Amino acid sequence: MNDSRFPLSSKKDSRRRLVEDCFRREAGSVASIPGDTIDLIETGILDSMAWVSFLRAVETAGGVSDLGSGLNERSASLGEVLAALRNSASDISSADDASLIQKISSSRTKAVLIGSSAVLGSRLLPSEEVDRAFGMPVGKLRRRAGIESLAYAAEGENELTLAAKAAQEALRAASCGAQQLDWIVATSETHHDYPSLSAQFHSRLLVRENCGALDVGGACLGLLNALVVAQSLIGSGQAQTVAVVTADVHSRTLTPGRVAGEFGGLFGDGASAFLLRGANSLGTTGGYLLGEFIFGCAGQYAAAIRVSDAKDGSLNVQFDGEALSRAAITRMEKVLASVELRSGIPRGSVGGFATHQPNPRLVALLAKQCGVSPGAFPPVARTSGNLGSSTCGAALHETLRSASKQVSGDRRPIFLASLGPGLLFGGGWLTPND
Amino acid sequence: MTKLLITEITRMGPAFCVIGLQREQQKIQSIRPVPSSANGWMYFPHHRGDILECALAPFPGAKPHIEDRVSTCSFEKSSTLPEAETVSYLRKAEMAQSLPDLFDCPIHENKKGSGLFAMPHQAKRSICGCETQNLRLELCANELRATLALPSEEALRDLPVVDRDWRDFIEASLSPGRGANRVARLDRFLNSQFHYKIMSCPHHFIRLGLTRPFHDLCWLMLDTLFPLPRPEWLEEF
Repeated sequence: MNDSRFPLSSKKDSRRRLVEDCFRREAGSVASIPGDTIDLIETGILDSMAWVSFLRAVETAGGVSDLGSGLNERSASLGEVLAALRNSASDISSADDASLIQKISSSRTKAVLIGSSAVLGSRLLPSEEVDRAFGMPVGKLRRRAGIESLAYAAEGENELTLAAKAAQEALRAASCGAQQLDWIVATSETHHDYPSLSAQFHSRLLVRENCGALDVGGACLGLLNALVVAQSLIGSGQAQTVAVVTADVHSRTLTPGRVAGEFGGLFGDGASAFLLRGANSLGTTGGYLLGEFIFGCAGQYAAAIRVSDAKDGSLNVQFDGEALSRAAITRMEKVLASVELRSGIPRGSVGGFATHQPNPRLVALLAKQCGVSPGAFPPVARTSGNLGSSTCGAALHETLRSASKQVSGDRRPIFLASLGPGLLFGGGWLTPND
Repeated sequence: MTKLLITEITRMGPAFCVIGLQREQQKIQSIRPVPSSANGWMYFPHHRGDILECALAPFPGAKPHIEDRVSTCSFEKSSTLPEAETVSYLRKAEMAQSLPDLFDCPIHENKKGSGLFAMPHQAKRSICGCETQNLRLELCANELRATLALPSEEALRDLPVVDRDWRDFIEASLSPGRGANRVARLDRFLNSQFHYKIMSCPHHFIRLGLTRPFHDLCWLMLDTLFPLPRPEWLEEF
């Protein structure tokens, strides 16, 4: 039976693909797709739990905030979901409104990542030495977490010096002068001083006085937060060129005596920097185009990790390693699945996964759960430890560096995914700007 | 005979599930009376706060529904407690402050979409009370869902609301006789007056439950939300 509200499309549009993919995730990969007018609950294809679960998956993957309210007093059918999705603000392109989407998207300037760098604390310690410093059995970090060595800041190094070094290298790689920057977006989970990191960085880099400087939070999710801010600044025409920097020096905060080694021993020090420019700017060729981002907060994991200052100057750390590990894997897998659905890029064709790396064991587990090669995740945490917001930055830089060795046309997309306490989560993708 | 203070009446498909509190020496514990031939009641004429006299026999129910007892004779109402007093007894029964304490087991998120579940062999009980820092109800594609924040600041999303009185209230608010724009009016109520009424109520309290194992998983749901809705609230929107 045909319903005029649910037009049949000879060319399967991307919304339909997304809805069908989400349905199969809920109903099973071999489930046949019901007709558009079939009521999924009445026919028992999905129960009410699965129906809402399916809608939430469509919302996340489709970038729609409130699909459910648009479906009240409607039947629980795929056709109604598609119609609600079409009526939503989602900018997923479809066969029937491609020209409109083209007009809308062409009015926003796309952001291109044109240069990157990552630096590590210059003191590289074998993990056994860190075991000893924290009073743990020697070999624990290597055996339990898979960490072989940790990068610690040397005397004279701090968040600012590491960030500045990374930024200078990224500017050089992009043949871009510091005076061309319109905005600096900085993030750090360890720099809590004033002036803030972005302000100090602004002065250190000697950028133009009217270059904006902004600090964003999110801890380990900080890089993705910073990237989406930079993308928005470029997209809205506020900026042509933006520097995104991350810098984290844990070794001076998470010290023996202040925190347990099972927590503090996981972290190293590092920084990363990225240059973004509007795709329409003169001389913007190559690089990687920023795709869309997915963000959220899975509050059910809020108690898995908490760090706060105590009155006596010590740190209160609540760290349920087992719960956090479980949460990290589940949520990152979910984020990557949403990115895959939203981008339409199969995970098997991704060139690299620039994700947060709580520890190497979890990265291996994540790769296994996602059914992708562990080699697609640059081994940041294994050799340097968890670098906070800079982990994802170092992984992204390494993935871009590997891609730069390939000829144009052979480069493949990159997936991003990260987490922060809360449990904040985010994901996105980059595609070669060939 | 056992005296049972009725605290939960939930809708589970066409049937009702009932839970009450029983005092055993100094301990107050939740008991779920079930008919001998099913898990729920097709007809249950009583209300929350009713004290019923009943005869209950042990029931070898599957974990984690350790509260199940077979009801061997009909219920007889002896008295009724006001809502605030009922909640005061609930606060003395099974309580938790955080997610893992609810059913004394890890709680997992649905990897495919929304919802939270426990593994049947890990959960130590199937019902638990808790205070909330915040609570929101939402009608999502005709399904009533709750999102709430525990004292531990952990947020629980998309819990199915199975509380009979709240489900009846929502249905009544959407009945065709109430005029136009019913969903939008309900939405406004849930986002304004409802929130104030619930969160400012001194005996605001919830109980979370686990479904019976379904494909080897027990899903979390909002069994009870106090205060219960009042018919006159329908006049407000």
